[in-house]
Amino acid sequence: MAATESPERRSMGDRVYDAIFSNRVWRSIFRSGYPNTPRNQMLAVATNVFLHLHPTRIHRTHVKITHTFCLGGLSFFLFLGLTISGVLLMFYYVPSVDRAYEDILALETDVRFGQLMRNMHRWMAHGMVLTVLMHMMRVFYTGAYKPPREFNWVIGVVLLVLTLLLSFTGYLLPWDQLALWAITVGTNMVGSAPLLGEPNRFVLVGGFQVGQAALIRFYTLHVIGLPLMAAVFMTVHFWRIRRDGGLARPL
Amino acid sequence: MAVANTQPVAASRAVEARKRRQREEELLVWPDLVFIEFISAVLFTVLIVVLSVLVDAILLDRANPAVTPNPSKAPWYFLNLQELLLHMHPALAGVIVPTIALIALGAIPYYDNTTEGQGEWFSTVRAKLNAYVGAAVGTVGTLLLILFDDAQHAKLYEKLFNGSDTPPTVTVQVEEGGKVIDKIVKNPDFNEFPIAFLRNARAIQNEIPWPKSWTKVPLGDKLIRTDLLGLPRISLNINIPGLLVEQIIPVTMMIGLPIVLSIVAWKTKIAQTKRDHMILQFSGFIAVYVTLTIVGTYIRGEGLALVPYTIFAGDH
Repeated sequence: MAATESPERRSMGDRVYDAIFSNRVWRSIFRSGYPNTPRNQMLAVATNVFLHLHPTRIHRTHVKITHTFCLGGLSFFLFLGLTISGVLLMFYYVPSVDRAYEDILALETDVRFGQLMRNMHRWMAHGMVLTVLMHMMRVFYTGAYKPPREFNWVIGVVLLVLTLLLSFTGYLLPWDQLALWAITVGTNMVGSAPLLGEPNRFVLVGGFQVGQAALIRFYTLHVIGLPLMAAVFMTVHFWRIRRDGGLARPL
Repeated sequence: MAVANTQPVAASRAVEARKRRQREEELLVWPDLVFIEFISAVLFTVLIVVLSVLVDAILLDRANPAVTPNPSKAPWYFLNLQELLLHMHPALAGVIVPTIALIALGAIPYYDNTTEGQGEWFSTVRAKLNAYVGAAVGTVGTLLLILFDDAQHAKLYEKLFNGSDTPPTVTVQVEEGGKVIDKIVKNPDFNEFPIAFLRNARAIQNEIPWPKSWTKVPLGDKLIRTDLLGLPRISLNINIPGLLVEQIIPVTMMIGLPIVLSIVAWKTKIAQTKRDHMILQFSGFIAVYVTLTIVGTYIRGEGLALVPYTIFAGDH
């Protein structure tokens, strides 16, 4: 019986499978075969620029949710989500004291899904501050900062500061009473530093009080300066996790 | 296979000392980890969308530099610093303390450079004990200090030793310049908190009869003689009681109390290793940070007095 079977008699599923995964276009995009064998599964991770942040194999204990609670990954996920929703918000927002507040109002009433987009950006921003703080606690209590990972902890502290600054600069942009006075209180704290405090505050705010100069500075920092810095430090952070041998394990 | 080599070249003793991974203890990242990452990304996307549909981001009135809201608050993650601002010199609370805290945080791995207790939650012997002790002392200590600086002990005393019919002040009519006017004076029947200078930190400056000369010590004339170098004189006057209350006492507290905690934990054998002390101090720090943030967010109301407060109260 088997001898009579010819390639034309293959089932529908097989033919669809071949049509999708064996054609020249698919193979030009994904160099490894479909990840249904261990070899292809490892190749799928190793040959994909996004997935190769991971090693190809990890220790059994590290996929337990309770080991990391996904906190570092969640922080990165929120950063990506904030980038996407932030780009969409930029379409509708002009950083001018005359327009900013009206733009937010228009976003909430005139723009389809505008309110949803703003809500998501805001909640993800608060969420990211929380996940970054909790990630730091996770790393501390699992002793994951110990040699050889000392410097990656330092980079993590820098990323914590960048996260807070990202959130702080974004706080001013709606140009409502909450924004103006929170930034006034916050920048006055900077101004109270001995010697360099007042000059620093002046540079940050671009004047003696929070106004147009401050708004454009905070906007520029928020949408390009700080995200780029965070991306650079995140690259180093992720790279060093791999270089230092993945997640920490008991010796 | 080239892809199999995921182990870095041994960078230090810690990496070398590790046993070679055993294949049966390992999982493939695809599908085991990628699956978890994908599912949690989907879950959190749904969660964020649902939250965003249900709860709108806050938007108050248009910014108006002429109208200062009471209270004016920084973003929530800086309210811990704003809370500190109420108890010490602004330069200390706003800049010096957070800077030093961040440097100390970054320096943790360089102090605790032992390799024990990696890769597992609370894996050293006394880890959990130290975390609990640190968190408890940090929370209770912070609350007590805030209550003290708000004169809550004095207010409690005055509540206990005065009936509800004895107000702290009374209005008397006095003749002044031929006119009879109302004047608010202290009620002589009112039992005041007896140790006036322990009412709060500021009372140490105000209630102790410091010599007049101490409040204006001209450092520029006697100590810092810039004029001898041909530079202009610095007229720097130091207010010693003010310096004591705003700087010396807070700094002593912030450095001294953690040291006392570590010494007590060491003598009582709660903390024995570097890792123990690190857990104790870190947990204390987190507890102080969280407590200050919560107090600053929810129980600092109008005039930054200790009253329940939410951002939504009174707005819209």
